[in-house]
Amino acid sequence: MSSSLLQPPGQLPPATALKLSEQAPDIYRKQPSGSASALSSLLLTTETQESWTVYENLFLSCLRTGHDETAQQCLLQLVDRFGEDNERIMALKGLFKEAAAVDDVQLEAILREYEQILEGNPTNLPIAKRRAALLRSTGRAVDAVTALTSLLDMSPTDAEAWAELADLYLAQGLYQQAIFAQEEVLVLQPNAWNVHARLGEMLFMAAKTSDAPKRLAEALKRFCRSVELCDDYLRGYYGLKLTTQQLLKEPSGKASKQVESEDWSLPEVSTLQKLDQAATEKLAEIVRRNSAGEKGWQGYDAAEIAAAKELLAANATPTIH
Amino acid sequence: MTWLSKSTAALGFVLLTHACYSAHEHSALQSHRAASLSSSSGPTSSLPIDIAIETFVATFVIALGLVLGTSQLRPIQWRVWAGKIEREGESGFTNSSGEVEKDYVGNPFRLLESRPGFVDIRKQRKEFAAWRKETSATA
Repeated sequence: MSSSLLQPPGQLPPATALKLSEQAPDIYRKQPSGSASALSSLLLTTETQESWTVYENLFLSCLRTGHDETAQQCLLQLVDRFGEDNERIMALKGLFKEAAAVDDVQLEAILREYEQILEGNPTNLPIAKRRAALLRSTGRAVDAVTALTSLLDMSPTDAEAWAELADLYLAQGLYQQAIFAQEEVLVLQPNAWNVHARLGEMLFMAAKTSDAPKRLAEALKRFCRSVELCDDYLRGYYGLKLTTQQLLKEPSGKASKQVESEDWSLPEVSTLQKLDQAATEKLAEIVRRNSAGEKGWQGYDAAEIAAAKELLAANATPTIH
Repeated sequence: MTWLSKSTAALGFVLLTHACYSAHEHSALQSHRAASLSSSSGPTSSLPIDIAIETFVATFVIALGLVLGTSQLRPIQWRVWAGKIEREGESGFTNSSGEVEKDYVGNPFRLLESRPGFVDIRKQRKEFAAWRKETSATA
């Protein structure tokens, strides 16, 4: 129970989130409150590093499942402990108001509040993020992009904001900009294997619209890098197999014409075949071990395993009887 | 720390305490003898060898107990560690009593894909309500 409370709740499956919210009053009673006097809190503290993370995640989980009263109590505890002027607390309060809002008029009011706070303190990063998120949530994607770019002007090393910008551009179909933003995320976090895989996926999608060989070659590199950074990475091998298959399908003559003029190069056909084979073997091993219930191979997501099985089945060479 | 390592370390401490007490007694005895003999005392005898041996053995036993109690070592190479997270999830990072270790956070970069600072809470609420309706309709 407690380990799932230390993880941000947006990723938990809905059933777990519901169970957590229902257990919330018990968890809440066991946690320390911040309102004891200073002396007793020094001597008798049961507060740990995780207590307040637990409170915050409980708050988010209750908002998600609709348990608003418990969420409000968690919020009050957090406000008691950290004060009203803490930037993260202001963002959490704004989040609560957004969740409780019933119509667009209230959302507009919340948006104006955010803008007011930002006028007073333009470096309030959590509130700036909330504003961009609210703009995106109400469907104003272009305004959200503007808000995010101004946020990034102020703080260009925020990888989360770059990732959100990439996602926003992708949702609008602006592949070139999305790829650029995602590459910025990689500049900031070069060892993030899932971000390499994500960029590979974006390039693969973009290759369908235009500029196919170059983008596919780049996607291949990204998937290879993600697999280098993480052994037995299902998503990386899946993308690798799809990309190599796509490249092997394309006629090699068309690609080689562009190779001389550009400063990138397409790998040899033999290399592509070897990569395809390696990816297939690895995917087969992962699926086999996971389905056999082997200990130490159960951390994979069930949906990803199913997708891998489908891919392998679709490409299995038919045996000749 | 398992019970075996705790008991071994405790035994080692008992031995060490005993050795230290014996050494203290020995030196007290020495000074008492030197004080009671008015003539010049004989050469002071050095610490008896069994006390010294007991000290060494006690230190060794304490070290053994502490080493037995260490949790499983984590992988050093990035790709091995990343692979362990992806392959085993939280079951690969449990301590000796079976609980997930407190500093395990899963894949630290998944926050770049879930982006909790930008959470769209209204969409999450709607999706949850739809899931609720669906499961209560089928149940």
